[in-house]
Amino acid sequence: MSESKDPRKTFGEALVEVGEKYSNVIALSADSSSGSGLAPFKEKFPSRHLEFGIMEQGVIGFASGLATTGKIPFVVAIAPFVTARPFEMFRNDLGYMRQNVKVVGRCAGLTYSTLGATHQSLDDIAIIRTIPGVVIINPGDPVEIKKAVHSAAEHKGPIYMRIGSPAMPILYNEDYRFEFGKGVVMKEGNDVTIIGTGTVLSKAFDAAEILEKDGIHASLINMHTIKPIDHDLLIKAAKETRKIVTVEEHYLHGGLGSAVAEVLALEYPAPLKMIGVDDQFGGNGPYEKLLGLYGLQAGQIAETVKEFIR
Amino acid sequence: MHKLNDDEELYLEQIALKIRKNVVRMIKAGKAGHLGGALSAADIIAALYFKIMKVNPQNPGWRKRDRFVLSAGHKCLALYAVLAEMGFFNESILDTYGSLGSKLPGHPDMYKLPGIETNTGALGHGLSIAGGMAIGLKMDGLDSKVYVLMGDGELAEGSNWEAAAASSHYKLDNLLVFVDRNTLQISGRTTEVMNYEPLYKRWEAFGWCVREINGHDLKQIVENGTDIPFENRKPSVIIANTVKSKGLSFAEDRVNYHYWKATPEEFQLADQDLNELGRRIGI
Repeated sequence: MSESKDPRKTFGEALVEVGEKYSNVIALSADSSSGSGLAPFKEKFPSRHLEFGIMEQGVIGFASGLATTGKIPFVVAIAPFVTARPFEMFRNDLGYMRQNVKVVGRCAGLTYSTLGATHQSLDDIAIIRTIPGVVIINPGDPVEIKKAVHSAAEHKGPIYMRIGSPAMPILYNEDYRFEFGKGVVMKEGNDVTIIGTGTVLSKAFDAAEILEKDGIHASLINMHTIKPIDHDLLIKAAKETRKIVTVEEHYLHGGLGSAVAEVLALEYPAPLKMIGVDDQFGGNGPYEKLLGLYGLQAGQIAETVKEFIR
Repeated sequence: MHKLNDDEELYLEQIALKIRKNVVRMIKAGKAGHLGGALSAADIIAALYFKIMKVNPQNPGWRKRDRFVLSAGHKCLALYAVLAEMGFFNESILDTYGSLGSKLPGHPDMYKLPGIETNTGALGHGLSIAGGMAIGLKMDGLDSKVYVLMGDGELAEGSNWEAAAASSHYKLDNLLVFVDRNTLQISGRTTEVMNYEPLYKRWEAFGWCVREINGHDLKQIVENGTDIPFENRKPSVIIANTVKSKGLSFAEDRVNYHYWKATPEEFQLADQDLNELGRRIGI
């Protein structure tokens, strides 16, 4: 992998593109505009950029009300502050009211590695996954972020999109086709299926390459949509490789691993290994080291897979 | 500003009485329900729908309509009653209250009936949603207004004050809040449970233009409700002093009628009170 790109900047550029395409797309910030990549949108469409300050409950309600008038609000802020903090607003004002609002949690996962657990978001997918009708997108590279933002603007209904902050390796070409709810097979193999998502998709990608060099043929799936999850692809993978490993920068409980386990347990039981953060608050330190603490570096993932299939 | 003449006032009194009767009718059907707040707000809701707001029962989604957000969603029996009275749906639906799958849940659901703008029930949500509506309407250059009904007990929710600050920041002079200040909430006298005073000054300090009225005086409700913005570039709020369970003599201003599980004797008393009022105002 050569090139990398800032996910927030990428998101901001994509939002300008959809802003040009749809005059009813608006951006709502909770004192997080520049940190969320909204500066270009604000500059280009000043009247369509609404600042709410550190008003993380209220901003969700305002977005809901704006959506009733035909606007397509994108609410962007630090992930825990648009999910855990205003959960009831998300559930009632967006989910229950089926509003066409896109919530983007940025710097998700362990991104705020040195700032500690209050600013990290290891539970956002778990929390939002309980809300009926909300689509959850966890893009795995900058190209996918861009495509997902376009798809989000076109999709009618509430969406939660999760992005990180550290530069993301580019895994896809511009002609990559993104479709909600459809996992993407990035590599074929018969020994095991690795399912990666979001900020650590690239780590799973590297792990699959390491395994290949060691003679283990892993299949790799990018599960960018956590809800609704791609049942058919999961069943197919379980049938073809039997063993499944999930990789996510999130709690083991309630995230990708849980979603996969729910499908497999009920529809096609298969041995499953989940890699992510176990039941504990995130630690603090340099980002890459923190990923290592939870076994999320490529070499560690490869080792875990080897041990699992042995 | 519209000043009601005596005939108009009598007509609205009759509407308000019908709402009260239908609130009791629904509670009869469902065996229990939120009585007190529905009755304290009945006059305001009657005036809003029959005199103040632009709405069209034949075209509930009319783009230029005014919006009503019932932030205190538990008062929805009064909302159901007024919508039926206006013809948004057939009045017979009111008799389904409490039955399985009824279109009348104990807190309103916008997808179940025409005319309902928001799903409310969890307190402290309505004002933010209304504020978003008000901004959206302004963006579209529409002169539609957004009316909100809040409870006074509800004001303990901090999210309301987020919304109050933002509405003032965005100068939402197309927004009018009625605070149904019946001074009671489920566990007691509102100021004793969690003191919100000085209420008038509090709203004022958040940048709102405030008026205080008798929330059962239809002339005052209409005169002030049709006079917004009270001040340009400011949101407006009316503190409406009301009596909880207004209209039912045995229940007025009594805390245990917030949610009413009525006995047959109480239903009889309720009918007597409302029929007596009906005789006085000619229905």
